[in-house]
Amino acid sequence: MTEPPVPGPPLTQPPPTDPPPSGAHGTEPRPATGHAAAEQAVPGQAAEQAAEPRQRLHPLSPLLHGANSLVVIVAALSWQTLGRVGLGWYAGMVAVLLLGAVVLSLVSWYNTGYHVVGRELRIHEGLLWRRTRAIPLERLQSVEVVRPLLAQLSGLAELRLEVVGGGKTEAPLAYVAVADAVALRERLLGLAARTPAPARPGVEGVERVEPAAPVEVPRRHLHSVANRDLLISQLLTPQALLLPFGVAFVVIQFLNEGSWSFIAVASTLTAMAGVLLQPLRRVLADWSFQLARDDAGLRVRHGLLETRAQTVPLDRLQAVGATWPLLWRMKGWLRLRLEVAGFSVEADANQRADQLLPVGDLRTGQRIMTEVLPGVDLTVPLPPPPRRARWVHPLAQPVLGAGLTERVFAVRSGLLTRQLVVVPYARIQSVRVVQGPVQRRLRLATVHADTAGGAGAAALDRDLGEAWALAAELTARARAARGAG
Amino acid sequence: MSHPGGPGPAPRPAGPDQPGPSAGPTSPLEPWPETVRWQPVSGDLIWVELLRLAAGMVVVLAGLAVGWALTGHWLFGLALGLAALLTGWRAVAIVRAVRAWGYAERDHDLLVRHGLLVRRLSIVPYARMQFVDVSAGPLERAFDLATVQLHTAAAASDARVPGLRPAEASRLRDRLTALGEDRAEGL
Repeated sequence: MTEPPVPGPPLTQPPPTDPPPSGAHGTEPRPATGHAAAEQAVPGQAAEQAAEPRQRLHPLSPLLHGANSLVVIVAALSWQTLGRVGLGWYAGMVAVLLLGAVVLSLVSWYNTGYHVVGRELRIHEGLLWRRTRAIPLERLQSVEVVRPLLAQLSGLAELRLEVVGGGKTEAPLAYVAVADAVALRERLLGLAARTPAPARPGVEGVERVEPAAPVEVPRRHLHSVANRDLLISQLLTPQALLLPFGVAFVVIQFLNEGSWSFIAVASTLTAMAGVLLQPLRRVLADWSFQLARDDAGLRVRHGLLETRAQTVPLDRLQAVGATWPLLWRMKGWLRLRLEVAGFSVEADANQRADQLLPVGDLRTGQRIMTEVLPGVDLTVPLPPPPRRARWVHPLAQPVLGAGLTERVFAVRSGLLTRQLVVVPYARIQSVRVVQGPVQRRLRLATVHADTAGGAGAAALDRDLGEAWALAAELTARARAARGAG
Repeated sequence: MSHPGGPGPAPRPAGPDQPGPSAGPTSPLEPWPETVRWQPVSGDLIWVELLRLAAGMVVVLAGLAVGWALTGHWLFGLALGLAALLTGWRAVAIVRAVRAWGYAERDHDLLVRHGLLVRRLSIVPYARMQFVDVSAGPLERAFDLATVQLHTAAAASDARVPGLRPAEASRLRDRLTALGEDRAEGL
């Protein structure tokens, strides 16, 4: 996949089973068929345009959108208005607004179109603010045919195309006739599946980068967290430590004032519960935390009131973060957390499995880290930024650090709560170099490595020359890691 | 190397003075001058941005002027003066900021740089492209311009190139999607 790009999709010759239209456009190298260019009907594109005309959504869609906005309109006008103006005026207002909504939907419908060009789906939108979205079909994660109630009544369906897999629908087509929706779905999936060979190895190669551990016995127990440690660790949080002061404050007030009403008790208790809630929830959620490994990934099992068992697919791992809270340092404890992309695809969308180790010492942390990302050292020395970064981070400058290891980009930050973020090169989506006005004075710059569905890692305030070198190196290594498969 | 002066058609100081893997980075906005050929965005974008600014400021200034005329309070006059000053400064900044926008297509990635006060450079590999938007608002279309935006799975990556001619926007879009397909990859 390293040879210079070919402008078209020459890797896939559409099989003869294809319907004639897509056969006509798939073979020729894709010309510059822009939105604007398409309307000029350049001779070379005439065939393609004729083969795949832009299709509109179903003509009933504006009505459906209008009906959907009826609820919003009624809610916006509220009962109060009804009481004030009377039923007749109210109905009139609703009707006018509804008409407006339908007209807007109509305009939007008239200007919305989609068509398949080569191996892309293009969606055109907007009258004044025009937008054309081009989605390579290889990137499609899922195509869903959804039928809300109104659509069901009218025999229509909404087609939802998800690209990134982050749970957000990037390209909804609302609405199309059910038969069309199903047909289009089949067609898109068919085109997407007929991906050339490169797509598969790419994905597998990425998988091969991380879980380097050989396939072993189906399930191997890794670690269980002692509940005593968990309790102590949550007592060593600012919230828990401040609790005695809170209690003392209340008691003193009580002794001084002598007035102790029910309201006062209740509000004090609520406030305290609110403060204590987070450590308490952590204790409950992470009670008897167990970590095991099998070939599907990591198995996490935890919870007191509600035992939760989750599988963390390691091939979707984006970043690992280690945190050393200030109060845990006397114990030498740390917490490990990981970021997984597209986890919402799994059944439990609202419960992201991000806890890797609620509390543990360095040795345990290192052991688990090695399991997740082989060859990563938690205590890897990371060079701090130049001393002049003190102007920006007066105290934290020596703590900051960033470095490149064999497989990962590691970044350290935080004076009180120390944090180490580790991003595998294969997971870097893009690299950014940002330089603010103060940084420019000091000839510093921040390098970001962005990952999917997370904050990524940021090397703060590096020397400008070093920042460029770092960015170049990150880009090169990310490419090498991607191309490894 | 610290030249806080105007970027854009930058002096492009030669001579790599920093050790780097590819080439010596020389200017905050133009790293790797030997290997990267930056393309500017269209100068008409200046007009688009200026008109946008004008549309916003006309409302503010008119409001302040009316307020001043009606009340005659000196605070309105002060605000009016400040707003006018701000507008002038923004106008100058826009001209320079548009000149600072640039993009470069390398073999494996797209480089986009922009910003004056906060300078940003994004490096987005084609392989990470998820989808590409080409958009054009009414003002942009009046000046025959379009914006290309590259989306990756990371929300933070910002690869947006405004102020392209439609033909160039289409070319860039097609090139991006074609390259993305060649280097097809999921997350």
